[in-house]
Amino acid sequence: MAERLKLSPTPIQQFNLTNGLRVILVEDHAVPVVSVTLYYDVGSRNEKSGRTGFAHLFEHMMFQGSENVPKAAHFQYIFNAGGTMNGTTSTERTNYYETLPASHLPLALWLESDRMRSLKVTQENLDNQREAVKEEKRLRYDNQPYVNAFLRFSELVFKNPANAHSTIGSMEDLDAATIDDVREFFRIYYAPNNAVLTVVGDFDETEARELIEKYFKEIPSQPPPPPVDVSEQPEVVVRRDIFYDVHAPTSAFMLGWKIPPRRTPEFYALSLGAELLFSGDSSRLYQKLVKGDESVVSIQGGIDERRGPSALYIFALPKPGEEVAAIRNQIFDEIRALRTSGPSPAEMEKLKNSLCNDVVRGRQSTMYRAQRLAEYALYDNDPTLFDSELDLYLAITPEQIRDAVERFLDVDNRVVLDVVPAAMAEATSADEVSETATPASPQPPGEPKQPGAPAPQVPSVPPVEPATEAGAAVGGPVSSQLEQPQQPADPPKQTDSGSGPLHT
Amino acid sequence: MSTQADFLKQPPPPLPSRPIKLPAAHETTLSNGLVVVVVEDSRLPLVSYRLALRTGDAHDPSELPGLMDMLTGLLTEGTDSRTSREIADEIARLGATLQAGANSDYTTVAASSLATFSENILELMADVALRPVFPPSEVELTKQNTKESLKQQRAQPSFLASEMVARVMFGAHPYHVTAPTPESIDATTRERLVEFHRATFVANNAVLLVAGDVQQQSILQQVESLFGNWQPGDLPGDNFPAPPQRTSRSAYITDRPGSAQANIVIANEGITRTSPDYFPMLVMHTVLGANASSRLFMNLREEKGYTYGAYSSLDARRTAGTFRATAEVRTPVTGDSLKEFFYELNRIRNEPVSEKEIADAKSYLTGVFPIRLETQEGLVDQLVQIKMFNLPENYLEIYRNRIQAVTIPQVQEVARKYVRPDEAAIVIVGDGAQLAHQVKPHTDKIEFYNTAGTKKDKPAVASHSPEVAAALAGNWSLLIETPLGQSIPATLILRNIEKGFSGKVTSEMGNGELLTATFDGESFAGTISFDIAGHTMEAQIEGEVANEQMEGSISLQDAPALPFTGNKTEN
Repeated sequence: MAERLKLSPTPIQQFNLTNGLRVILVEDHAVPVVSVTLYYDVGSRNEKSGRTGFAHLFEHMMFQGSENVPKAAHFQYIFNAGGTMNGTTSTERTNYYETLPASHLPLALWLESDRMRSLKVTQENLDNQREAVKEEKRLRYDNQPYVNAFLRFSELVFKNPANAHSTIGSMEDLDAATIDDVREFFRIYYAPNNAVLTVVGDFDETEARELIEKYFKEIPSQPPPPPVDVSEQPEVVVRRDIFYDVHAPTSAFMLGWKIPPRRTPEFYALSLGAELLFSGDSSRLYQKLVKGDESVVSIQGGIDERRGPSALYIFALPKPGEEVAAIRNQIFDEIRALRTSGPSPAEMEKLKNSLCNDVVRGRQSTMYRAQRLAEYALYDNDPTLFDSELDLYLAITPEQIRDAVERFLDVDNRVVLDVVPAAMAEATSADEVSETATPASPQPPGEPKQPGAPAPQVPSVPPVEPATEAGAAVGGPVSSQLEQPQQPADPPKQTDSGSGPLHT
Repeated sequence: MSTQADFLKQPPPPLPSRPIKLPAAHETTLSNGLVVVVVEDSRLPLVSYRLALRTGDAHDPSELPGLMDMLTGLLTEGTDSRTSREIADEIARLGATLQAGANSDYTTVAASSLATFSENILELMADVALRPVFPPSEVELTKQNTKESLKQQRAQPSFLASEMVARVMFGAHPYHVTAPTPESIDATTRERLVEFHRATFVANNAVLLVAGDVQQQSILQQVESLFGNWQPGDLPGDNFPAPPQRTSRSAYITDRPGSAQANIVIANEGITRTSPDYFPMLVMHTVLGANASSRLFMNLREEKGYTYGAYSSLDARRTAGTFRATAEVRTPVTGDSLKEFFYELNRIRNEPVSEKEIADAKSYLTGVFPIRLETQEGLVDQLVQIKMFNLPENYLEIYRNRIQAVTIPQVQEVARKYVRPDEAAIVIVGDGAQLAHQVKPHTDKIEFYNTAGTKKDKPAVASHSPEVAAALAGNWSLLIETPLGQSIPATLILRNIEKGFSGKVTSEMGNGELLTATFDGESFAGTISFDIAGHTMEAQIEGEVANEQMEGSISLQDAPALPFTGNKTEN
């Protein structure tokens, strides 16, 4: 995979303010819009037990007013200027972002700086947003089939509570959050030296630098936040469990593995191996199970990508009456085949072209670029990875893929989670889980964990129009202006979409 | 603390605005009627193709709902010269995308790739669009999997709500279909698919849009060689029965026991995409509910905390439309949410929107417009809609002016015309037993359905749920009418206990203890043991409860029933 696509380098400008705020600028005059993101280095990984869901609840509070911006005025200023905005929380970080007509760059910087400097928290607003978050949890998790099983899944994979618990948190912990917690959280994590500001779009660099200095430079820095321990044992926690799902119409199952952190050669190799296994109609598992055996309705997978130990999972919807154990064995056989013979030359070609296509397509939207740049800056302290990471992927050899699959997609050290419709609970015999290596921990009813993992895309009618890759930030306004007649359901979709204050 | 700099206290003024460079679209029509639109854009080595046909789900044969969806799914499952596997492998080898889909009004085949593979992906796209063979084994597999997908869809409350809205609002108009049925899937045959493809995939029914790093001349040559022999045919008509006219407000509750929320949709008849009212409606919709600074969101979420989001939606299609207000709320505040929805729906009808609101709405609509043009896919989406809805050729140029031209009286005029609370359909998907008594104050006409869409009886309150009990539990102040025309005040104190209620009554006539009580969310019936002048007497009490008001009667053993009215003084 040595060939290299010829792309002009992204004109990345980076500098730090004296208070430690890291700034990244990329000028692009194609369309008169500008995207601004603020990434704070705090996510559910930073949460203490008893306060799960706090980073996300706090994210909602960031829209509830600051010294010079009244409650909910953030929404109004942005929308009324012709912009779009949102914020999301994941295991790794909390982000805030807006895309606006280019002339409104000062507004975005003023709004972001005001809440970084002087967030105002009141009991009334905390109570109100607690209710909004509870409704978000009901909407996106508790009222959906299969989604809470994904939260349960993380508890089976990860031992360390920092990794295992969900970003949305538990209703109980949300209730326990106090206004003092909110203030303390703000002081510790919402400091300029714990954040990255990214601006991409149609602006003048000198002007942007002056504005950024003007609005942000007086915000005081804070002592660094306490370190996070996300270390993990190599073994999964529970190898076999059952999740009874009140909304699932049919049985399903998940398989999962603990894998190395992002940005490691093993992670790159595994994500390419995973693509060969389950990405798209040409993938090995699709061709074997949906097509060949016709034993599953759909099979999909994904990677829960983290700075620490990460996870790889597969979600399968068997056809009624199919032998689930046999399907699982077929999957394990396909994994064994990949780790025995490795990828074929044709598969390596497809990986290369798919990587290049994604990279080029990702250079269109200002918001997509701003978000990726911010991640590379925050996680890796190197935004130029936006251009250079492709080479690291393209350098992965078939042998590395084979070895990584061999080492990490162990057929024994894995989680098998059966998702059973609650109505069928009594019919499922306890013998079913006799394979369990470690006794399954009791499942707290109604309080499943972890939203980082993408929800399964249950098969439905084909999309009206193919979705734009980087369309998340502009999805709202597009659908409101030119209403798409069929509205797809709205499960949480991507690892990095986390949970936001608004529908996206 | 130091005094804040003054510039921090107010939002900064905008910088000078920067012009939008609208891309130039070149249109050609081939001799077979195929319209080709090319936008050259060499910023990145990418290309996007979209073949759009003016036939959609609405044109499915009435006995085969879902036929076009199944057809589009099968386009990539085999052609004259390629098997399903070969198509999948070729798309993957190119690192490209190729997929087809349909909505109510039109069908698209979409492809994109690196510019290097522009010719390969266009050739493949032409092959699947023009020469699909619908192999019997693939048809059979698709039928099986579509049936399974239906089960998954029915597990989604949002699907159930959309399905009911379509059914109620569109009547005999084909937009009433949201999904195939197990019967229509069974009845679909390879012959019907082949025949439907032959009838609808005709050159003069289609537009091919191309955007990206291409040269117009060479693309047109390739298009001519791939699509030049494509035959024209008869164009589909849009002669559909009109949707029913609603004359009163009614509710349609889909009982989904165990639902964690109530999905509420309040729907009225709307407009078509080409209605002259479209732009005033768009502005009205933006003030009312298009985004998180609109009235519905500010009220139901930011003020009340009932929901994660409350919005309106402008569903304007080629031949009909709806206007909807939606929210997913926690079950016990369903009634309160309806109250706030109707308050806002009435307000936008009865009062002109303010100067600031209309200015903000216009600023939003015109400002977000260029964001759509950032990506090739976004631009192609816009061009497809212009073509499929026969919008003016210069639509992208005039769009912002059309928004700016909308006036406050026009906004109120369309609100009065289309936002009609008294004729609204209230569709709710949720735990039916907990909903009936909350919906009743808003309409007497309530129909219940199960999640399969079949009409059912009002669901019984299966267990003593705290949400239902809360409507009755509390302190009530009653006035009991005697046959002599006196009003005797009494206090009824009801407490929610594990499996029912405890309670007591105090009045001039005597005091009593509640012995038994039942409550289904609306009707309360109980037995009270009275101590009257040292004698124990039993009385029956019955009442209808709604919105903290109760009306009913109380009868002491053999005496005639005494009517009472009451209101809750404390929860």
